[in-house]
Amino acid sequence: MYHVSMIRKELVAASAEPMILSLLARGEGYGYAIIQEVKARSGGKLQWTDGMLYPVLHRMETRGLIKSRWGESETGRKRKYYSLKKDGKLAMSQHHEQWSLVQSVLAGLQKGQYV
Amino acid sequence: MFDLEAAIAGWRMQMLAAGIKTPVPLDELEFHVREEIERQVKSGLNTPQAFAAAVQQIGQANALKQEFEKAERTFMKRTLIILAGILGVLLGMALIMPAAHLYKEQGMMHNAVVGFSWGIPIVLFGVGTAVFGLKRRKA
Repeated sequence: MYHVSMIRKELVAASAEPMILSLLARGEGYGYAIIQEVKARSGGKLQWTDGMLYPVLHRMETRGLIKSRWGESETGRKRKYYSLKKDGKLAMSQHHEQWSLVQSVLAGLQKGQYV
Repeated sequence: MFDLEAAIAGWRMQMLAAGIKTPVPLDELEFHVREEIERQVKSGLNTPQAFAAAVQQIGQANALKQEFEKAERTFMKRTLIILAGILGVLLGMALIMPAAHLYKEQGMMHNAVVGFSWGIPIVLFGVGTAVFGLKRRKA
């Protein structure tokens, strides 16, 4: 069976922002849930050091891509919820375009074709 | 007997000592650690093991601090650009206003022209810089 190894940390770092934007495009989210979702969707192949998500979220908030608010879970636990801003949606579209291009070039090369 | 609250307080102290700022980033990290401990306990670990796993998973304090500093630098850069723009506008206005006064009250055309020729470009440059700072999106 073809084995997909753990994804290299450079690629994990580069994909963090588009992943976060894409997850938040589905609705408001908080750090822990974002990490769990990424782990689940990648079958554990995308390993983030949990704490590293928060500086990325803060940077994205500073850049005006996302916004945050404090709220509470059903059990009363405090959580900081993040959601997309207009510029975040735009940035997400740009990321999708760029990643799609990279993916199509790689797929074309794998088939021995030019795109 | 393992005291979870004392262990979390100790972990917070380590984070503070490394320079992680409080309240927001540290509180957010602590809520994350608590959720992870809860999940690990549900999956069968005892509390000390769950705490150790959650703390390892959240990462080293120094590495986290460096990442948070990057976010702060982005904010500082943007703020400085906006402030430089505002200063430019104020400086330009400080040249234009007396020049306008001189021309209006005393008819000193030459002095007014000098004031305007310096003041207007400086104001425009200041406005441009401030707008660039406000629109700046790249880290």
